[in-house]
Amino acid sequence: MDFRFTPEQDLYRQSIRQWLEANLEPRARGIDEAEDGIPTDITEGMASLGMFGVTIPERLGGLDIPDEERMVYAMITIHEIARADMSMSTPVYTLLTIGWAYIINKYGTEQLKELVLPKVAEGRCFCGINTTEPGGGSDLANITTISLPEGDNYVFNGEKAYISGPKECAKWGYPSGHCTLSRTDPEAGYQGFSFIYVPRDIPGISDHLYKDMGRMGLSTGGFIYKDAKVPKWCLLGEEGKGFYVNMDGFNAARIIVAAACLGGAEKALEISRDYCKQRVLFGKPISKNQGISFEMTNDWMQLDMLRLNLTRAAWMYGYNDANPGTFSRGELNKVVATCKCLSPTLGHDIARHGMIYHGGFGYTKDTPLEMMLRGIMSYEVGAEGGLNIMRGIICRDEFGDEFNSFKD
Amino acid sequence: MKIIVPVKTNPDLQMVRIKNRQPVLEAVPYILGDLDKNAVEAALQLQAEAGDTQVIALTLNQGNRKIKDTMKEALAMGADEAYIVTDDALVDTDQAGKALAIAKAIETIGGADVIIFGEGSHDGYSGQVGPRVAELLGVPEIGFARKLTPGGPGIQAERSMGDFIEVLEAPLPIVITVASEINEPRIPTLMNIMKAGKKPSTDWTLADLGLEAADVAPKNKILSNLAEEQDRKNIMLEGDVNAQVAALIDALTREGVLEA
Repeated sequence: MDFRFTPEQDLYRQSIRQWLEANLEPRARGIDEAEDGIPTDITEGMASLGMFGVTIPERLGGLDIPDEERMVYAMITIHEIARADMSMSTPVYTLLTIGWAYIINKYGTEQLKELVLPKVAEGRCFCGINTTEPGGGSDLANITTISLPEGDNYVFNGEKAYISGPKECAKWGYPSGHCTLSRTDPEAGYQGFSFIYVPRDIPGISDHLYKDMGRMGLSTGGFIYKDAKVPKWCLLGEEGKGFYVNMDGFNAARIIVAAACLGGAEKALEISRDYCKQRVLFGKPISKNQGISFEMTNDWMQLDMLRLNLTRAAWMYGYNDANPGTFSRGELNKVVATCKCLSPTLGHDIARHGMIYHGGFGYTKDTPLEMMLRGIMSYEVGAEGGLNIMRGIICRDEFGDEFNSFKD
Repeated sequence: MKIIVPVKTNPDLQMVRIKNRQPVLEAVPYILGDLDKNAVEAALQLQAEAGDTQVIALTLNQGNRKIKDTMKEALAMGADEAYIVTDDALVDTDQAGKALAIAKAIETIGGADVIIFGEGSHDGYSGQVGPRVAELLGVPEIGFARKLTPGGPGIQAERSMGDFIEVLEAPLPIVITVASEINEPRIPTLMNIMKAGKKPSTDWTLADLGLEAADVAPKNKILSNLAEEQDRKNIMLEGDVNAQVAALIDALTREGVLEA
């Protein structure tokens, strides 16, 4: 047993941290204020170091890294990006793209993979997830968007809401799009769902935007489908098995969502540490006050435990894909859901505590703490699964079906 | 062309704490020095310009237990091959011993057309090893280069002399030491990090270079190595504001901060 990262993983972390500190961190506030996406020179630089290629095989433009380590590399990537852009805009943009690219590679047809993945690796394509509807996103079994098979296409009708990336799809154009959950057989219940990659730039799709409170460098909006024809080679996995493919994708996504929260939390705690050492009140640095130092210590302990558990989750998920059947779905679900349940709240707490240590300064936009607090809340309200949905998953998979709140 | 870049791995100075004026090196990771990265980058740029060039990174292991991992950074930047000389006798050797071991290693590799050092290491910073190696190999040396151009009879190097810029030309083989202004070292891409592990890396001991421990025994001894101590003067100025200002000006003048 060995808890260490490999020398290559360490060197990768060190290399991208150096680049991100020099190139992204100084511009994070500007990205949040401009509300105009991630600047192209940033995504180009990230791509040149390999950040968009970690989940994609070399033959499709990605990187020659062992398959079982891909999720660990994805976790390192997102953790480091979140340290540099605490608004969460760049980490979320990236985690959506590389996380759903992983699922496209795992379940997609050769034609779809060849179309989308090389462009993702180059940093010139956005991929996202598209499940939530105006009625909500937690109760996925009751979504209503349909995609009836007709000839070589699925014909989409319905509406999706609170989806990240409409403007990003428009920026990069075809084939940017979303992994979309819909009903190919509306009568068949769970067995009637299919998971289909829907390129945004297809006739019959329109979008609208919402005004978010945070992560302002990434757009959120909704899609309306009116007889939008999506080619059948965009199917992910099998027709009728979409619910399970989607859930597997959520496990991958939740790992890197937690990485974004913990990367930001780690940086926020370092900012607080540095400030408390030099801020003198009542004749001594405020770091000498146990009201502050013990709270910071509690936060660090939880952060360290979650980093460890998240590394376990990333390793388990990747190892299981390279060696199928090593872990059961329930085993994976519990570890991943634990990270997704606790990381956003811890990140929020650490940002809020830091703001309070900073006093009035902490309420200004001269520290990145308020930006992180606004950004990370998207993962508390629900993106990639609400916190109580995570509890429901853990409860069901640990204590048994008698505790399954998703079924009567 | 063959370029050898002797690099030094040092404790990460940002992680070194000072306790009782002594550096605490426990649990401090070793990294490739910044000037060593400038040297590797200079070699890679020469390689790109000259074509058909092999870049070899060479190091003496002076107590870095993860030397192979640290050297991966040089390989990930683009060096083609690494040589690592590990020997207990190297841990406490001095600049003369290091220069001898490096010169012997260069000979054992089969010589080189260009040997590029950083102008000094970022821990000891004696700046001696490069010129000493040139002397031992009997080849010319250009120190503190801030620009290198292949061509002519060998290589052209530019260096800043404060008031003027000097351009020197020398035939190969040559030893060059580079200043930090020469370039911005590249950051390894993940693709090159993954390739680094597959590049050849050779481990040697002093015996492989035909040397014994006595050959590199230090000829000088460090008697003490203490962090600088700056005591504050703690002078309290008395009287009203005017008197305090006058006393302050007087004190600063006596210290030489202000001109009388």
